[in-house]
Amino acid sequence: MEKTTMHEIRLNATQSTPSVVAIPLSSTSKIGLLEMRGDSYPENSFEFFSPIFGWVEEFLKRSEEWEDAALRVELHLLYLNTSSVKAMMDIFDLLEEAFADGKGVCVTWYYDEDNERIAELAEEFKEDCSFPFEINRVS
Amino acid sequence: MHHSDLYLLRETYNQKGLILSFNGPFSQGLIEEIGIALRKHLQSDAVSSSAASDVFAAYIELTQNIRNYAKRHEAEDDPGATVVIGRDESGHHILLAGNVVEIADGERLQTRVQELSAMDKTQLKAAYKEQLRRPREDRESGGGLGLIDIARKASAPLSCALTPVNSGNRLFFSLKVVI
Repeated sequence: MEKTTMHEIRLNATQSTPSVVAIPLSSTSKIGLLEMRGDSYPENSFEFFSPIFGWVEEFLKRSEEWEDAALRVELHLLYLNTSSVKAMMDIFDLLEEAFADGKGVCVTWYYDEDNERIAELAEEFKEDCSFPFEINRVS
Repeated sequence: MHHSDLYLLRETYNQKGLILSFNGPFSQGLIEEIGIALRKHLQSDAVSSSAASDVFAAYIELTQNIRNYAKRHEAEDDPGATVVIGRDESGHHILLAGNVVEIADGERLQTRVQELSAMDKTQLKAAYKEQLRRPREDRESGGGLGLIDIARKASAPLSCALTPVNSGNRLFFSLKVVI
């Protein structure tokens, strides 16, 4: 990658926070990946999501200089409290804005067939997004 | 405390179908520990996965709301929360959660609960999405989103009660959720 190297985020899951991986997928393809797995109900969701929001914001901003840059978001989230929902919506708003500017962004939300509730939540998020947003059942 | 008190508690637990109860000051750590126990209980209790998710979600929102309130008010003598979860004869889960609040806050909450309990599912969804779009009043709370979320998951309208405490200087606000 050019001199502008993105930092990475790698967090292990805890009881109330998901694992997070936020990385530039390769130095040549200029594709970023944000992946989150697990439950999200920390006491202070804003604080937890702040660096993730910052990473997405920075990646999308820097990608202006890169041709064919894209951000792929892969979610394996199981349960979100309402303040985590709000934080996720802020991230989706960033993606929406980037998509409107012609950037390549997409979200895939994977859910277990036994977890209908998270599929319903994903559907509600999708209603407000015009970028590619897939909801995939995993059995 | 006497042996008779324990027996009385046992009788109450049995009659009311109580699964879990808690009273006192609590932390995020305790919310998580009790949450783990609740999830395990729901898994082993032949509850549908959607009902189990809803009970857990309501428990988290109720307790985190109370925790956020306590943090905002920094009450020196924080009496914490009183939470009970049970299951009635028809299989519905009932959650009751209460805490001591300022009179004005209690009255405001009661008005909000009454507004929400008059809404149908479509109106609640609209209220939820509207609240989601509002700027955060403070950065530590979901900004009233929790209450709407609980109302959406409930199978009956929310109800609440206000009981004067501390010689009428404050109120014990309790909220009842049927899943």
